[in-house]
Amino acid sequence: MRLEATIRGVRHRFDSVKQVLARANPPRSGDDLAGVSARSAVERVAAMAVLSELTLAELRAHPVVPYEEDEVTRVIEDALDEQAYRAVKDLTVGQFREWLLRTETKGATLRAIAPGLTPEMTAAASKLMSNLDLMTVAAKCEVVVRANNTLGLHGRLSSRVQPNHPTDDVDGILYSTREGLAYGCGDAVIGVNPATDTPESTAAILRALDDLLRRNQVPTQHCVLSHVTVQMKALALGCPMDLMFQSIAGTQGGNQAFGISVALLDEASAQIQAQGSARGPNRMYFETGQGSALSSGTHHGADQVTIEARAYGLARRYQPFLVNTVVGFIGPEYLEDGPQITRAALEDHFNGKLLGLPMGCDACFTYHARMSQDELESLKVLLGAAGCTYLMSLPVGDDIMLNYQSTSFHDIPSVRGLLGKRPTPEFDAWLAARGIWDDGPGPRFGDAEAIR
Amino acid sequence: MTRMKPMARASLSRTRALIDALRTRLGAADPMPPRPAVPVIPAPPAHVFPTPARRGRYAADAARHTTALVGIGHVGTRYATDVVLQFKAELAVAHEAVAAELPAGWFEQQGYLGLHSQARDHREFLLRPDLGRRLDEDSLQRLRARGGAAPDVQIILADGLSAVACQGSGVALCTQLADACRARGWSVGAPVGARFARVWLEDEIGEVVGAKVAVIVLGERPGLGTGDGLSAYLVHAPRIGNVDGQRNMMSNIHARGTPPAQAARRLAALIGAMLAQGTSGVGLDLAGIAELDGLETGYRAPQVRERLVEVG
Repeated sequence: MRLEATIRGVRHRFDSVKQVLARANPPRSGDDLAGVSARSAVERVAAMAVLSELTLAELRAHPVVPYEEDEVTRVIEDALDEQAYRAVKDLTVGQFREWLLRTETKGATLRAIAPGLTPEMTAAASKLMSNLDLMTVAAKCEVVVRANNTLGLHGRLSSRVQPNHPTDDVDGILYSTREGLAYGCGDAVIGVNPATDTPESTAAILRALDDLLRRNQVPTQHCVLSHVTVQMKALALGCPMDLMFQSIAGTQGGNQAFGISVALLDEASAQIQAQGSARGPNRMYFETGQGSALSSGTHHGADQVTIEARAYGLARRYQPFLVNTVVGFIGPEYLEDGPQITRAALEDHFNGKLLGLPMGCDACFTYHARMSQDELESLKVLLGAAGCTYLMSLPVGDDIMLNYQSTSFHDIPSVRGLLGKRPTPEFDAWLAARGIWDDGPGPRFGDAEAIR
Repeated sequence: MTRMKPMARASLSRTRALIDALRTRLGAADPMPPRPAVPVIPAPPAHVFPTPARRGRYAADAARHTTALVGIGHVGTRYATDVVLQFKAELAVAHEAVAAELPAGWFEQQGYLGLHSQARDHREFLLRPDLGRRLDEDSLQRLRARGGAAPDVQIILADGLSAVACQGSGVALCTQLADACRARGWSVGAPVGARFARVWLEDEIGEVVGAKVAVIVLGERPGLGTGDGLSAYLVHAPRIGNVDGQRNMMSNIHARGTPPAQAARRLAALIGAMLAQGTSGVGLDLAGIAELDGLETGYRAPQVRERLVEVG
């Protein structure tokens, strides 16, 4: 393994695979904050050149956090499918990139090798790819999952309705939910981030959502995104719960900062399998975001793209219904501006899909990041074109509780119209029957009174 | 096929005349198809964003429960112009709140000891959270020179991500909280203000003054159309190196969430629990604290979303 490259007569040497991965990363304020980024544009190219010659086997042998120190590494390594791995292990990262891009490499093949890939492998390939490269490969992947409806089919674009409220006023939550359904949103999940993290309030919101969905026979899922331990208690109270949620990170320490461990997630997953109300087998929902491990100082000197991909390696263990990267949520100290947020969204979607997850994205910015509304709207179209499984949706994209700007109820039908995408088949039929959407706006489109 | 440039009506007619002449010379017998009629452009669409006078029933009902912009209608799949203007105005409010900085000497005018983190300017503050977590050398010396009185509670007011919120209700909240603490018999340190401050700065300040509990009140990141929200973070035994799991927090302290007077009572209850149990964060048992239960279930703030744009 030669960790050096020469550019215009200047030799660039690197200490470790982890350092090569970090310095090959495109510019990222979070990597600057962590002190792991390339020191110059030329050094970045040198790191990319070195990375392009490493084999996937070498990446497996050098995870960015050692096996002995980190249970996320152990989860990924122990569950790796050896047969799928053997098919690609001798490819260099440069060859792997080209193999992914080849027209002959179809989605079914990518799905078959997914269990043999580690996050370090897909993250490495992403560092050699442009935005359009990332989109081209991701659009080939099809990851289909099932709860109360069928998510992730080709030609579909789904959305979460996110009807948050600063004091968890259940009526306020239902007004936003009905409005969202009337715009054809909500086929991925009706998911509420609660302001109050108690089992009772989680159960109260779930019961109200369950009543609404039953009354209107909406084929979708509900979820309240409180801490997993709170949801476990709420489920034990006997309330309906289609999906169990948790934020996860790509290192054991990052997960400790979230108050979770693999053992706890195993327990939560077993409980939602036994007691959850969804009909299908995929019942977990995870959210992630570049920079979360760094924000708790648990990144082990690795770059944030690779650490983020490792969170997907953990998510894979639970065959989730939903995974999304909340890409611009944490703030400009991790993703500084529009170009960085855009690129990170496409990287995360690529890495998640390649690792076999039904990957969605919360395309968003906080108001202290340098991203314009126009850039954010463009990103939603890019994600739709890349085959992103689902986006969020809120009234004018404004989260009145979490204070950030995301996708709006109006954006989902707009992007579907531009790209010829449809919601999940079950939801599509429901929208047509209700006169809301049938390959275009129906007579009740945008009319929240159509939802009782 | 060549691409046609947009043409004025007169030149389009000339083109038709040329084509007609060409067709005649080529022996075409049938007449030119008639020119398609330019459709009548309908009257400007009605304003859809609900002003109180013309708000729809759904929007009016929803407005009693939420500030979310629902019942706003649509043009095709997009917003009406009126909604676009409201949105742009709200975006500008949020961006102004983020960009705002406290005027020089503002803390001193409020009678606070004004301190400064290690972030040298606003941009560095946004991109380097590590620098916002520590005092600069001059501030550290001045805080030490004032002498630690080892109070039960040290309250710190800071700009955080909205100087607008800090200037708005920051002093009122801190004063009410200090009064609530004294009424319960606890000593409260002299008020301290911090510029370019992150949450963890409370560890260093609290440690220097020897407080049992440190509370930092900061402007929280602005939402669309707002910049008035405050958050408070509390920690027992403040020390450099404390982590988030050791803190309790309260967010959305503003008129639409929890107003400052209510927040002060709830924060005092949290401090009481910390002093009684000698811990904070995940280890703090909040069961049976009446002030916390009552606020969560019994109170509903008024939901008001201000209309920002009126033309003329």
